[in-house]
Amino acid sequence: MNRRNFLQSIFAVLLAAPFALLFRRTKSALPGTLWQIDPSKCIQCGQCARACILRPSAVKCVHQYAACGYCLFCSGYYHDQRHKFDTAAENLRCPVDAIERTYIEDPYFEYKINEDKCIACGKCVKGCAEFGNGSLFLQVRHNLCKNCNQCHIAAVCPAGAFVRVPASRPYIFKHAGEAK
Amino acid sequence: MTTFFLAQARFPAPEFETYRLPELVMEEAVFDSSLLRAGLLLLFLFGSGYCFYRRRSRKALLLLHLLGLAVFGFLLHACPCPVGIVQNIAEAAATGAPLPLAYLLLFTLPLLCALFCGRLFCAGACPLGALQELMPGKKFRLPPALDRFFRLGAVLVLLLVLVCTVAGIGFPLCRLDPYLPIFLRSFNHPYLWLTVVFLLLGLLLSRPFCRYICPYGVLLRLFSLLAWKKPVITTHDCINCRLCQQSCPNNAIIAPESAASPAQRKRGLRRLELLLASIPLALALGGFLGYAAAPLLYPLHRAISLEQKLQQRAEPELAVEAFEKSQQPVTELSAAADRGRRVIRTGLTLSGLLFAAWVLAELLAQARRRPEEDIHCIDQTLCLCCGRCYQACPLEKPRPSQPDRRT
Ligand code: SF4
Ligand code: SF4
Ligand code: SF4
Ligand code: SF4
Repeated sequence: MNRRNFLQSIFAVLLAAPFALLFRRTKSALPGTLWQIDPSKCIQCGQCARACILRPSAVKCVHQYAACGYCLFCSGYYHDQRHKFDTAAENLRCPVDAIERTYIEDPYFEYKINEDKCIACGKCVKGCAEFGNGSLFLQVRHNLCKNCNQCHIAAVCPAGAFVRVPASRPYIFKHAGEAK
Repeated sequence: MTTFFLAQARFPAPEFETYRLPELVMEEAVFDSSLLRAGLLLLFLFGSGYCFYRRRSRKALLLLHLLGLAVFGFLLHACPCPVGIVQNIAEAAATGAPLPLAYLLLFTLPLLCALFCGRLFCAGACPLGALQELMPGKKFRLPPALDRFFRLGAVLVLLLVLVCTVAGIGFPLCRLDPYLPIFLRSFNHPYLWLTVVFLLLGLLLSRPFCRYICPYGVLLRLFSLLAWKKPVITTHDCINCRLCQQSCPNNAIIAPESAASPAQRKRGLRRLELLLASIPLALALGGFLGYAAAPLLYPLHRAISLEQKLQQRAEPELAVEAFEKSQQPVTELSAAADRGRRVIRTGLTLSGLLFAAWVLAELLAQARRRPEEDIHCIDQTLCLCCGRCYQACPLEKPRPSQPDRRT
């Protein structure tokens, strides 16, 4: 072995050594984490609709029916400054008419989020949290999300509400029960 | 599920007679391709090794680039790619965050390959590189000194990215990646103008991102410094026609130098002395500049900027509102802010030192003359394995008048 080869070997070992250390840090073969919103921290700032690398956003509003009061005058559905409780657009919170309201039985209505329309602006979530039960909340939907190495919303979320969750438990529900 | 917080049930859930609560369907995550990509990466490394060292064919390499772009860029969404995994590695090393084995493989394979046979990763397996290589247009060759100077940009980017990651600012590289919107075919990117700039630059310059920005390229440069296998332009006796040097848009070909005349020797020695004497000064300057630049990074750090906003309270701020809602104690926040400031300060000081050391090392390497080599040869740390020089070398074109001495 000449001197150059000797130096090369030393250099190679020196460069490769940190990887041996890192190897002990590795967990499973597959990535463990996905991005998710912790609904208890979210303040519905509207960035979720704007900052996602995808448009429309991979975040959608989720309705946890078990916590819903099925209110006649839903504060997530109706605007604060509504003139009338009817379905005219100026009376509704959702700017894209993504909330579908169905009559169940007197005086209860079911509210369903149409995810194809939802843009994750969080306006209904805010209304529901302020005056209602808070059964609406925002979640990253993993069938849409590209799982960016750095989520672009997480980088601008003013509440620091984005967390990495294990892929085995990809959603953070707002209320107990209805775990899936 | 994992977390829930007790929202006040202002309106109790009604008891329905016939109605059933609709089922909540939450989808599984999309297929995670990282392990598959690590496997494919190995295949691609062999492929580019074959095309570059055996076939020695630019056409084959371009085909490989096309394949790599399709597979890694568009079919299997390339995120995170080895370039971005630099950050995951730094995070895992600094904070003990979990690091999936597939990421470590994606990161290590190209470096190991570089250790033995040069930057083959840049020849087909990197979707960012492939996109730039396939850009049409005549590529201008910058003057070598200017090129070397711009290349320092990549070193700076690497150091900054490491500091940001370790300080918990997030992964800046992933946010700034100019090619990401193209791979995702979604143009909602905060720095879309970077995409436009790099695409336009790519029409004029060869691999602008690779040479001047890519932090992984810096690591590849380091790892290939003493590579066992090096590319040779021609196995015939080089006639020093300089055609290969002119063909290389990446300035990776070193021309032979004549032995120095006594006057040149003297001047060279003076330069060397000056350089050696300025080492302490340069290091100190680098460290100081790094230290002084620390406040520039503070606003990017969540805890630090939140603390500042809390103190100023000029106008209602969303972040402040969220902080107050979270009822996190202020002491915890200022502790986090202090930690952030400390990491940024030390990190940037170290970065300044390292950067100064890098510049000095490059200047010292430049000061050396290489009269021992009397042929044009490739600097494998800068060579991106594009194969242009093979095409340009007149001895490489098999001509009937000239027997092929390779066999
Ligand atoms: S960016 Fe953060 S605070 Fe704003 S809506 Fe999304 S999760 Fe909520
Ligand atoms: S990880 Fe990417 S795709 Fe998913 S929500 Fe964040 S920015 Fe959107
Ligand atoms: S220099 Fe960086 S971006 Fe370019 S091909 Fe190599 S790893 Fe990819
Ligand atoms: S193969 Fe390397 S040395 Fe030859 S032209 Fe391409 S980058 Fe330059």
